Amino acid sequence: MRSCLILFGLLTALTGVVHGGELQVALGVQEMKIPPSSREAGKGVPRSAGLAGFNEALAREICRRISARCVMLNSTFGEILPGVEGGRFDLGFGNFLRTPEREKRVAFSDAIWHSSSRLLATPQAAARMASQASGEVSLDSLQGVRIAVVDGTQQHAYLRSIASERRLTVIPLLTMAEALLALKEDKADLALLLTLATYAMISREPPGRFEFVGPPVADRGLGGTVHIAVPKQKEDILSQVNQAIRALRADGSYQRIARQFFPFSMD
Amino acid sequence: MLVVVFVLVFGGVLAMVASDQQQVLESTERLQQQTVPEIIRFQRLARNMEQLRQEGERLFAVATPEARQQAIFVVTLVASHPSIVEYPQSAALAREAELFLVDVNRQANENPASLKNHYSDWNNLSSRLSLQVDDVSIQGINLTTADLASVAHSMKTARLKLIGAAMLLAAFLLLLGYLLRQYLIRPLQRIDRQLTGLSVDRPAPEFPATPVAEIFSIEQASKRLHASLLENERSRLELENLAHFDGLTGLVNRRYFMERAETELLRAHRYDRPVAVGMADLDFFKRINDTYGHAAGDLVLKTFAQLLKDSVRQTDLVCRYGGEEFAFVFPESTVDEALVLAERFRQRFAEREIFLPDGHRVHVTISIGLADASRLPLEKALSCADQALYQAKHEGRNRVIVAAEQRLPLPV
Repeated sequence: MRSCLILFGLLTALTGVVHGGELQVALGVQEMKIPPSSREAGKGVPRSAGLAGFNEALAREICRRISARCVMLNSTFGEILPGVEGGRFDLGFGNFLRTPEREKRVAFSDAIWHSSSRLLATPQAAARMASQASGEVSLDSLQGVRIAVVDGTQQHAYLRSIASERRLTVIPLLTMAEALLALKEDKADLALLLTLATYAMISREPPGRFEFVGPPVADRGLGGTVHIAVPKQKEDILSQVNQAIRALRADGSYQRIARQFFPFSMD
Repeated sequence: MLVVVFVLVFGGVLAMVASDQQQVLESTERLQQQTVPEIIRFQRLARNMEQLRQEGERLFAVATPEARQQAIFVVTLVASHPSIVEYPQSAALAREAELFLVDVNRQANENPASLKNHYSDWNNLSSRLSLQVDDVSIQGINLTTADLASVAHSMKTARLKLIGAAMLLAAFLLLLGYLLRQYLIRPLQRIDRQLTGLSVDRPAPEFPATPVAEIFSIEQASKRLHASLLENERSRLELENLAHFDGLTGLVNRRYFMERAETELLRAHRYDRPVAVGMADLDFFKRINDTYGHAAGDLVLKTFAQLLKDSVRQTDLVCRYGGEEFAFVFPESTVDEALVLAERFRQRFAEREIFLPDGHRVHVTISIGLADASRLPLEKALSCADQALYQAKHEGRNRVIVAAEQRLPLPV
């Protein structure tokens, strides 16, 4: 009888009670929060839409599965990885692609979805570049343009690596909203962004405001599986999060959450 | 030695089976780690291509520009999914479809009527997309089937080998069982049979040759047991002899004689038959011993005993009663018949010349007393015969005297 109780206790300990019980979850925001005073009536900051909404819903569901109380913190993309590395955040939902450099700094969960990168531009800028270029405008053929990018992303890293040979002007910005603004204000010709992340932002704009330029890219570290960042030393959190992700996929909860935000499967 | 061979062969078979199991494990591992993710990738690709096609259909189906915009967004995003981008054939086709649809949408925004002009072109693209979806699905299925078939095959092979190993093991066990029976069980049963029937009356146990040293030693031991049984029997007979017979003369000894005499008298009394007893004594025996030595005396006794044995009938009992005293029982004889016998014997012995070891020749006589034991108990009858003997000695020796009848009251 006693051995049964001990076994039961061990099992519950293994299956999901997180030590401490509280997790700091960083959610990447595409735009800075507008202070309440300047908020227009009826129009708030739609945080619960698109990729940000999906990330938050996923985070809540995972936390529920591992029986932890999660504190949601909004951060700009560039802050999340250093924050996770330093242990300030327990989970980082920054739409992270897995690279060897990043793997040295943090641990990554199992894949939560797949992404690619794509160039975005206003139709006017796109037309201008199409007339200037000989073939199709794509990432491979870019020369001498100004590209906006979110600071600290893989896109940023890639562009930095080819900037000198292609004579590119790389403009790092804090959030995607700023990148779109730069395009609108013609401070940048193109923006290289995560395709899916762009969706929610663009869908709020009038149609035809932006268009994608060139084919999507999934190689060169610009696409592939997307993961949650977890501090390297917190291995128990990592294993529990992976278990939760597997469970979510297996019973269809993941698919349901995704459908709430997207009319297709990003997995 | 056979055991060593067996162990080696079995070890080899076991190793083979283990390596097969390892192969099966590796196959299933590969199935899990590679094949299943591959299948999922194919499935995902097919699904996304199909959705792309459907969103394209919707573009032509919906009425409002906003709805068209939504469709274009989905088209763009689905076409950007890594599963399509990473697969060259589908990437090209998806790009083509996306460009086509974006262009159609732009024209439709300017002039909604233009939409239906493009529909036939779209149908073309749409069917190409469908074909590719089918191809991808089929590829996925074929991959599954192929890999599963290879795993099933390796499992079947492993199973066959396992069955082979089991049969080999069974064969070896049968062989072992047969050998055990032949070289262990049967010899033991033989030994058991022989030991059960071990007796002095039967000959020593015989066993066929056996290569097993332990069985051989047990067989030898049972042979030794039989030999010791025989030895014991010999000793027993010897002891019996010693217990019953007088060593010097070979006649029965007094104790044994008394037992048998008792039996004879009992029988005679029961069936009312005549029986006579007698006591004899060598005359001047001490003089022989003193004059010629004990060896001479012994010789005289032995001669007398031999003569006695030759003279009495088969049914008569005769024993050495004391140093030079002898007692007789004559069953089925009246005292007169016994007298005839005794008289004959007395004469024969008196005439007998005995050659002593040192060359001297002597004549020795005996005195005999007889009594009718037909109605007397043994002790009483012998006592009467003894009295008759005393009388014979008293009257001059070398004669036979019959005891006077003593009438006893008949037992009631």
